[in-house]
Amino acid sequence: MSANPRDIGRKEGAFEREPARRVFASEFRECRYQFKEGEDEKSPSFVLLPTGERCNRIFLVGTLTEKLRQGDQNIFYRGRVVDPTGTFFIMAGSYQPEAMQQLAKTETPAFVAVVGKPNLYQTPDGAFLVSVRVESITVVDKETRDQWILDTAARTLDRIDAMATGTSPDIAKAKEHYPAIDVAVFRKMAYDALAQVKI
Amino acid sequence: MDFSEAAERISRKFSQKGTEVDPKKIEGKLRRLVTEFGVQPSEAERSVTNELAKEFNLPAMGSGGSGKSSGAADLKKIAEIAPGDWVTIEGKIVALSAPASASISQSGIIADESGGIRFVVWAKSNAPAMAVGSWYRIESAVAEEYKGVVNLKIHSGTTIKGIEEDLALMPTTMPINELHPGIGGVRAKVVQEWDSSHERMLQSGLLGDETGTIKFVIWKEPGKTQLEPGQIYNIFYAMVDEYNGKLSLSLNTAMIMQEEGDIAVSGGSVSVRGAIVHIAPGSGIIKRCPVEGCNRALSRQNYCPVHEIQPKFIYDLRIKGWLDDGEKTHNILLQRDVVESLTGITLDAAKEIAENNPLGMDEVFLRMRDAVLGRYITCSGREIDNRLLANSCERISYDSGEHTALLNRAGGAL
Repeated sequence: MSANPRDIGRKEGAFEREPARRVFASEFRECRYQFKEGEDEKSPSFVLLPTGERCNRIFLVGTLTEKLRQGDQNIFYRGRVVDPTGTFFIMAGSYQPEAMQQLAKTETPAFVAVVGKPNLYQTPDGAFLVSVRVESITVVDKETRDQWILDTAARTLDRIDAMATGTSPDIAKAKEHYPAIDVAVFRKMAYDALAQVKI
Repeated sequence: MDFSEAAERISRKFSQKGTEVDPKKIEGKLRRLVTEFGVQPSEAERSVTNELAKEFNLPAMGSGGSGKSSGAADLKKIAEIAPGDWVTIEGKIVALSAPASASISQSGIIADESGGIRFVVWAKSNAPAMAVGSWYRIESAVAEEYKGVVNLKIHSGTTIKGIEEDLALMPTTMPINELHPGIGGVRAKVVQEWDSSHERMLQSGLLGDETGTIKFVIWKEPGKTQLEPGQIYNIFYAMVDEYNGKLSLSLNTAMIMQEEGDIAVSGGSVSVRGAIVHIAPGSGIIKRCPVEGCNRALSRQNYCPVHEIQPKFIYDLRIKGWLDDGEKTHNILLQRDVVESLTGITLDAAKEIAENNPLGMDEVFLRMRDAVLGRYITCSGREIDNRLLANSCERISYDSGEHTALLNRAGGAL
């Protein structure tokens, strides 16, 4: 009822946190397209999943198999987190001190839950590198890892099903940017991941 | 022909409303109409009166001699008043509130059997003071919309007459989901009491009935008391305000009566499954201000934003965080009992850690974070303004049935 422009501005500006998408490593490493929504410097940046969904944040649970401290002045940690389908490359630098300290004190191997931002790099020789900048990393148990596999398989299958029938802009974008990918491989991937969980 | 008598009459009528018009000017207008245009004298008097009324932004006074001017307007039901209306109403003053500015002499709520409306009496109007509980006939007040709420403005052109007899007035309530900005009454249960966010605030929280919930607030004023959580109340003539598209009830003007019985509060209740993806600062063990009715979280130096240093703080547990189902992230707030059952750390155990561990309260935060971050849980509670206030939180255990179903789903199309 109120036509006060300030109210309208606030409503539109209401903060909504980006959800953490669930994606298996072997789908995640196929990402080749990163884009920004809006012109603003602070506009969120998204990586487009081949199954037709943007992600600004992902949640993954796997086994931390390696970690490596790098840099002299700007210390940062790299790590590898393995799920049933492949490997996530994670990193935490001095801009994420909490996450870096957490990663630093985690002994390998361990089941870890990671929340982080996806990042896409292209090396000078043209190769793509997809990594996760860690926001938080916690040691969890195997049950949580298994739950994550079920959760991620379900979400992946949802996305594949939506690709067949849906018309969202992200689905159209995915078809445009990943013309060579047949999403059926991700159904197989999800099945294989589920099959690795002991019944 | 002598126009001075008619001019005098018109001039008197205007001076009654607080506007001075020069009788010479009126006389000139009358003469012109009658002598130049051949208008009947009575008709000329009427049209000059109306012309001047328009000029001074007063309601049309109609024809005829003094005293008759007011009778013309029809009595309007308060509930039917629309912005821009010039109205005459009869109603009872059910509440008076402190005027918001010096140019206002009185403000409050006037009601008839159809409903209530906020009114404002301009100081310039020289209107007689009205008393709570008395009935008045208010003629030629104007309804205006301010911040989405219709208000009745009593200005210098308005006449107020007291009505002697005390008419019966049965206030009514309405379902919460039918409230609209203005004045409203509800029969509702106090479902939540919130931390006071302002030093002038006596109490705020959530009222609910079968149709929904609404925020309420009571500001500090002599004689105001807090509502009791879990109690049912009949609340009449509360102010319904709209802010950012959300309604809230301000109870300072309201008549509040405690009721028997119970209400099955509906709406807003949700259950979310997901993973905890963030534990926010301010979670863990916290200190609260011990001043009655305050309960704010204190800073590390035991500083309350209102009551300053409070060495005799009260310890409490809470978790603020984000629960994420992969599609949407829900802001969650867990209170002490929920925190204790989810983390397995009781308030006593947390106190012990906070007071004896070198990291103090941080250690409690870290232990709780390590216990719940990244875990799958189901959180049930009430969602307000995108924040889920959890009544219960449970770890989800691995479901082999779900595993089988997913294998079938993924494998079915291979």
